[in-house]
Amino acid sequence: MSDPIATARAAGRTLLTEVESKELLHNAGIRVTQARLATSADEAASIAAEFGFPVVLKVVSGDIAHKSDVGGVELGLADAGAVRAAYDRIMASAKQAVPTAKIDGVSVQQMATPGTEVIVGLTTDAQFGPVMMFGLGGIMVEVLKDVAFRIVPLEQRDAKQIIREIKGFPVLEGFRGKPGADLSALESMILQVSEFAASHPEVAELDLNPVFAYPDGAIAVDARVVLAAE
Amino acid sequence: MQVDPKRLARALNPQTLVVVGDKGPNFQWLENNKDFEGKLYSVQVDPNEIAGIEERGYTNFTKLEDVPEDVDLVICAVPRNVAPYIVNDAVKKHVGGMVIFTAGFAETGEELGAQLQERIIEMARAEGLPIVGPNCMGVHNARLGVKFTADQPKVGDGNVSYITQSGTHGASLSMLSPQLGIKVTRTVSIGNAVVLNEADYLEFLRDDPDTHYIGMYLEGVKDGRRFFEVLRETVKKKPVVIWKGGQNEAGQRATRSHTASLATSQALWDGMMRQVGAIGVNTLDEMLDVMACLVHNKPPTGRRVALMAMTGGQSVAISDAFGRASLDVPELSASSYERLGEFFNIIGGSYRNPFDMAGTIGMAGDPGNFYKILDILAEDPNLDSFVYEFSAGFFIRQWRGEEGQKQLTDMLDGLDRFRERVGRPLILVVHPGHLEAEILPLKQELWRRNYAVYGNFDRAAIALSRVTTYYEAHPPA
Repeated sequence: MSDPIATARAAGRTLLTEVESKELLHNAGIRVTQARLATSADEAASIAAEFGFPVVLKVVSGDIAHKSDVGGVELGLADAGAVRAAYDRIMASAKQAVPTAKIDGVSVQQMATPGTEVIVGLTTDAQFGPVMMFGLGGIMVEVLKDVAFRIVPLEQRDAKQIIREIKGFPVLEGFRGKPGADLSALESMILQVSEFAASHPEVAELDLNPVFAYPDGAIAVDARVVLAAE
Repeated sequence: MQVDPKRLARALNPQTLVVVGDKGPNFQWLENNKDFEGKLYSVQVDPNEIAGIEERGYTNFTKLEDVPEDVDLVICAVPRNVAPYIVNDAVKKHVGGMVIFTAGFAETGEELGAQLQERIIEMARAEGLPIVGPNCMGVHNARLGVKFTADQPKVGDGNVSYITQSGTHGASLSMLSPQLGIKVTRTVSIGNAVVLNEADYLEFLRDDPDTHYIGMYLEGVKDGRRFFEVLRETVKKKPVVIWKGGQNEAGQRATRSHTASLATSQALWDGMMRQVGAIGVNTLDEMLDVMACLVHNKPPTGRRVALMAMTGGQSVAISDAFGRASLDVPELSASSYERLGEFFNIIGGSYRNPFDMAGTIGMAGDPGNFYKILDILAEDPNLDSFVYEFSAGFFIRQWRGEEGQKQLTDMLDGLDRFRERVGRPLILVVHPGHLEAEILPLKQELWRRNYAVYGNFDRAAIALSRVTTYYEAHPPA
C-alpha cells in the first residue's frame, strides 16, 4: 500500500491530489468513490472496466484548481470507447487552457448515484486545534453558511448534534414524500473522520465535498486533504 | 503556567493584603479594602503619599520585604516601569500571589510594554507566582471583604463566582447581583491573563467549594484546547454561564479548504459551547437573568411550563415568548381541568394553560381562588416549571392601602408555599408598566424572597430555556 502523505511530502506538496486524498481516506475505512490515476487512454479504459461503468474522468494537475472550467471533467462515461475518447479530449483541452500546467494524467472515478449533498470537513484552529464541520452541500454551505462545528474528538452525541444543529436539517429528514437521509451513516462517517483527524495530526484541513447521502448509506464523492506545513 | 492550586487559593482568600503604590487623593486600593477582615498594609516610598496613607490609619512600609509577616496577596498599583521591581520583591518574599492593576503592557501594542510584560512573566513562572493581570481590576472576595471597587458586596454565604476579562463587567456583575438575591463568592478581573489564563481560573472555580455557579465574560482564550477540556469537566460539576464578547471579529488566516474558510471564531465558539453543554449568553442582562434563574430554583426536570397570566392579551404574549424559547406549554391533566372548571370564571378568562386569571382571582374575582389554582397546578403531573406574571400595572391600585398590602403579602406567602411544595422552578414576570416607581418595591420584595424576577416575558423565557437545556445535558445527581 502506498502512503499518499509520504508521497506528497517527498514531492514537497502539502495539498494532496484527489486520488491521493481518496486513497488515504479509503485506507482509514471512510467510504469514498474509488479513484485511480491513469496516464493513458487505454489505462483509463481498463481501470473503468475494473470499477464498473459508468465512470467519471477528471484531470489531475497541481496547477489546475478548477477542473471543470478547463474542460477537465467528464461525467457518465458508459463504456470503454467513451472513456478513451474522453481521456484524449480532457488532456487536449486542459493543455490548451493552461499551457504551462504540469498534467499528471486523468483520474478515473466510480460515478455515484446522486444523493442529498452534504459537506463533512476538518480544519485546524489556532485556538482549539482540530475541529470538524458539517453542513448541507451546494448553496446551503456556499451562500448561507449553514454549518455547525465541533471540536475533535467527537463523541456519538456530538455527531448526532452536529447534524441536527444546522438549519437545513429538515432536508435530511425527508420532505414531501422524499425519503430522509441515512443519518446513522452520516454520524458514522463524521466519527470516522474525527478518529482519522485524531490519529493524523499532520492533516491540517480536509473537505469531503460533496458527500452523497442516501436513504441507505452515504459516500464521499470528492475529497481534498491539506497537510500541515512541516 | 503550572499553578499550585493551594497557592492560588491562598492568593484569592488572603489573610494578609498589601497594597503597593497607592496614591492620593483617593487612595482607592486601600480605601476599597477598608472592610477587609484580615491585615491590610501599604507599601509606598513617596513621602508625599505616605503622609496621606498614615493619616487614614494604614500602616505603611517603604519596602515589601519590611512587612513583618507572610503576605498572601499583593495589589500592585505602581507605574509600569516599576512593576517588574515589585514582582521581583514579591518573588523574594514568597508572597501567595499578586494583582497587577497597572496597565501599559502588551495590550498597548508597544515594544516597551511587551518587554516589561515579558520580564514579569519570566519572573512569575520561575517562582510559580500566580499573577492576576496585568491591566486588570483584580480580586473581589465577598466573604473577606477584598474589593476592587467600593460598592462590591461583602457577604459571607456566596455561591456564585465571576471571572471576567473586563474590569467594568466584573464590577457590574458583582454589584448588580446582590439586589437580585444572587450571592457572590468572588469576582476576578483577569486583564491580560498572561501568567494565569482563563482555564487556570476556571479550574480553580471547578474545585472551589464556595462556588456552585460560574459566570464568565471572555473576549478570547489563551489556550482554547485546554479551556475546552477544563470547561467540559467543570460543566459536569456546576453550571458555567459564558458571555463571549467580540463576536464579530473576522477570522484571519489563509485557508485552502471550504471548511477552514467557514471556521470563524464565533462559529467554533458556538459549537464548542454546545459540545460541552455550557450556557452561552450575549449580554450582561442575559448573564444576570440566567444566574438568577439558576440560583433561585431547583433544576428543572423538563421543558413543560405552566403560564399564569392575568389577562387575555398577556396570556397570548406569554405563550408566544415561551414557545419562541423552545419551551412547551402543555395541556393540563383531565383531572386538573375538571377541578378548575368547578370555579374558574371563563367569561373573559381561560384555564387551558396559559391561564387568563385576573377575573377569577382578583379585581372582580375571589382572591381565595388563587390558592385553589396553585393547589391544582401543584398536583398536575404534566408540568416542569411555573411562571407567574403580575400585571402589576393593573393590580397596583388593588394593592394600595393597608388592606391591599395585606392581600399582596398573603398572595406572596402563597407563592412561597407553592414553590416550597412543588420543588420545581417558579419564575416571576413583573412588567414595570406605567407606574415603574410604585412597582419597584414589589420587585424588591420578590428579590428579597429569592425569586428570579423578569421585566418581560422574553427575558424570562430565554433564561428558563437556557437553564433547562443545561440540566438536560447535565442531569443533577
